[in-house]
Amino acid sequence: MKILVCISHVPDTTTKIKFEGNGDTLDKSGVTFVINPYCEYGLSRAIGFREEGKNVSITALSVGGPEVEPTLRKALAIGADDAVRISAHPNDSALVARQIYNYVEGKEFSVIFTGKESIDFNGSMVPGMLAEYLGWSFVSFATHMEMTGEESAVLHREVDGGYEVVEARLPIVVSCQKGISEWRIPNMRGIMAARKKPLAVVSPSEEVADTLSTIKFDYPPAKEACTYIEPDNAARLVDELVSKGLI
Amino acid sequence: MASKYVSLQNLKFTLNRVHQAHEMSHYEYFKDYDEDAINMMIDAAKQFSDTYLFPFYEDMDRNEPELEDGVVKVHHSVKPLLEAMAEGGYIGAGAPAEYGGMQMPSALSVALGFIMSAANNGAMGFSGLTAGAANLILTFAKEEYKEKYIPNMFAGKWQGTMVLTEPQAGSSLSDITTTAKPIGDGKYRLTGQKIFISGGDYDAVENIIHLVLARVEGAPKGTKGISLFIVPKYRIEENGDFTFNDVTPAGIYHKLGQKGTPAMHLMFGENDDCEGYLVGEENKGLSYMFQLMNEARILVGLGGCAIASAAYYASLEYANERPQGRRLNDKDPDQPQTLIVNHPDVKRMLLLQKSIVEGGFSLVAECAKYWDYTRVLEGEEKEKYELLLEILTPVVKTYPSEMGIVSVSNGLQVLGGSGFCKDFPLENYYRDIRIYPLYEGTTGIQSMDLLGRKVTMKQGKAVKYLFAEVNKDIEAAKTYPELSKYVKILEEKLQVLQSVTMKLIGIAMKGNIELFLSDANLYMEFFGTIAVAWQWLKQATTAKQILLTENPQGEDLKFYESKIHTMKFFFAYEVPKTLGLAQRLMDDEVLTIATEREVAV
Ligand SMILES: Cc1cc2nc3c(=O)[nH]c(=O)nc-3n(C[C@H](O)[C@H](O)[C@H](O)COP(=O)(O)OP(=O)(O)OC[C@H]3O[C@@H](n4cnc5c(N)ncnc54)[C@H](O)[C@@H]3O)c2cc1C
Repeated sequence: MKILVCISHVPDTTTKIKFEGNGDTLDKSGVTFVINPYCEYGLSRAIGFREEGKNVSITALSVGGPEVEPTLRKALAIGADDAVRISAHPNDSALVARQIYNYVEGKEFSVIFTGKESIDFNGSMVPGMLAEYLGWSFVSFATHMEMTGEESAVLHREVDGGYEVVEARLPIVVSCQKGISEWRIPNMRGIMAARKKPLAVVSPSEEVADTLSTIKFDYPPAKEACTYIEPDNAARLVDELVSKGLI
Repeated sequence: MASKYVSLQNLKFTLNRVHQAHEMSHYEYFKDYDEDAINMMIDAAKQFSDTYLFPFYEDMDRNEPELEDGVVKVHHSVKPLLEAMAEGGYIGAGAPAEYGGMQMPSALSVALGFIMSAANNGAMGFSGLTAGAANLILTFAKEEYKEKYIPNMFAGKWQGTMVLTEPQAGSSLSDITTTAKPIGDGKYRLTGQKIFISGGDYDAVENIIHLVLARVEGAPKGTKGISLFIVPKYRIEENGDFTFNDVTPAGIYHKLGQKGTPAMHLMFGENDDCEGYLVGEENKGLSYMFQLMNEARILVGLGGCAIASAAYYASLEYANERPQGRRLNDKDPDQPQTLIVNHPDVKRMLLLQKSIVEGGFSLVAECAKYWDYTRVLEGEEKEKYELLLEILTPVVKTYPSEMGIVSVSNGLQVLGGSGFCKDFPLENYYRDIRIYPLYEGTTGIQSMDLLGRKVTMKQGKAVKYLFAEVNKDIEAAKTYPELSKYVKILEEKLQVLQSVTMKLIGIAMKGNIELFLSDANLYMEFFGTIAVAWQWLKQATTAKQILLTENPQGEDLKFYESKIHTMKFFFAYEVPKTLGLAQRLMDDEVLTIATEREVAV
């Protein structure tokens, strides 16, 4: 079974975000980039299938410039068999989904894992678009996945206050959520092995054009300073709340 | 608890840019370790530490092991940690591939060790001791013993220890009395007691493989009669069964810090049934053990700056959050309080910490690189790096240990009263780091080793090589006018160091060795400060070159500018302290040598 794991290359969660230029570009200096944590759940689940004795080959794919290669290498170190970089600027979700679709067509993948969202832009759009382009089953926010045969799988989806159990036909696009697997730390041997695994660079398909461009990013409004009110001064508390229109 | 304990950017800069660790990949033995591999491994070690080490730091301190009914129970995180260390390939990382190792260059393994020790220094003792003991077996023991012990040690199932100290033989190992009686077939029966044995017994491993120094019956007195033995807690029978080997825990020490790692008092052969297996040849044990101790000494230095790193980031975080008082030029009480990081005295303490942490680590990395060269070079070149390592080993053990304490103490001071309380980790770091100038040879012993042996060995050849290395870096620094002031200071200080050394050697040549070595500790302090000043100039040169040629921006720009600023701080605040040391070392007045008319003590 061939599994494709889509890997988004994102700033580490501890990064202090700053913008440069006219506020339309992330200041990347001093920023560590990592595998998008939700994509990493997918990678880890794919490796889990192999550990369960299934005959799987795992390809890690990312759309981006050469800067994403260390992130793909990390996916190889964790356990992917080969990696593909589609050399296009991942500007908007439609473009990314279309590029992945063009690559996947005719390659006989049975499962495509993505994250439920990428933690930088939080778009949550690529997997749905990709499934639509491919005409495949799509299960979003998956917290569990088991194969029930060559052609089908049972998945759990997170829904408000609980989870939903679905059976789906393969091939399938699955967007992964916490719970589907545990992250893995690449070990030293894996890192060494990763250096010898193939990482192919694929040219983008020509016909895809950007549909969006970013005008500007802005920070959320700064938090207001704390106002301390003496415990015996309820009247002032009421005044403050009224003046802010909160009551 | 503070969240940051290490700067990966600093580690990568020091390794890849200052020391060019990836050059090792030009040698067949280390060929896989290029810059990409180095960076990935550093990132992986951080992730590992965030998962298995850092979260348990405080809890391991609060729940120290106890000896109950003959069993030492360690913290529940130790077993999963050792399994993960083994799975990750960390325990055998430095060993040759043919024995399941990864042939990792030391320059890289010290960076990984730095991250892990900063995350949880005590917990790192377990795997560090096993790796060291396994390395001794691999280097000096029979093939049969390698096959028998190494795989389970690298798998984290069996703990390795180093067993030297006895009640009457701590610094003075020549007074060891544990005895070994030959019983044929390369086997010996051991009797004796050992104290302070780290990892000496506990419940999270299946077996403990002790590497014990003992004296074969009838062996010469002193250091020339000491042999090295493998003494397992359980003997491994032909069929793989375990038989108890008469090594019993007599007590556990309750320590100031590093509480997670049990230090044991052990009895060997109380029932005359303790078998030991000779490593190498009889009476050569101490020289074998010194191989392990020299590595261990570099790792102690590493641990010192690693704890200081964790303490630095904890105090930096606090200083950036704690408002208190107002800037001295703006005392208007209507204005909000300023953050303490803005007070010059707090800034000084933070810069002092940074200069010790990053200067100390750079010296560790320099030594690690020399260590790697000794593994791949031959002949005169190999000798050069061996001598450089010889002379710097006592220094790299001592500077980060002693100054690490100063650094952590300043970190604690930054937190004010909170630094003294258990709500913050500083008091824990302060307790943990205190052991470093004590074990693996006290500062007193290291200082005498530096001045009494290393400086004079082979007619001062090691010193000559070291000065040549320093001068090479001074020449590189001369390219940049902004650094010329510091180049001049370092050149002057090297001359003073030479004069002081000549003066002291003069005393030695007159035969008064006690007088010659009486202030060895001050000589060490002088030497260590100069060695770290050298490392700072080297870092600043690299940073300057990057600033001029690579146009770094944003946070990167700040990083390199801060390197140059911290170098200036070290030269302005620390290097001048050598003036006082030099004055004392050049002074003939004798105040510490015991005389009949004792005054002070
Ligand atoms: C937590 C911990 C873990 C340890 N782990 C191990 C271990 O795993 N294995 C092991 O074998 N040992 C271990 N040790 C023992 C450690 O190595 C010794 O404590 C150390 O070498 C000092 O020996 P000592 O305690 O007997 O002190 P002493 O040798 O009595 O020294 C006391 C003081 O006298 C000074 N002094 C001694 N001799 C001289 C001299 N000739 N000239 C000038 N000054 C001198 C010393 O510098 C020191 O300041 C451990 C100790 C501790 C506390």
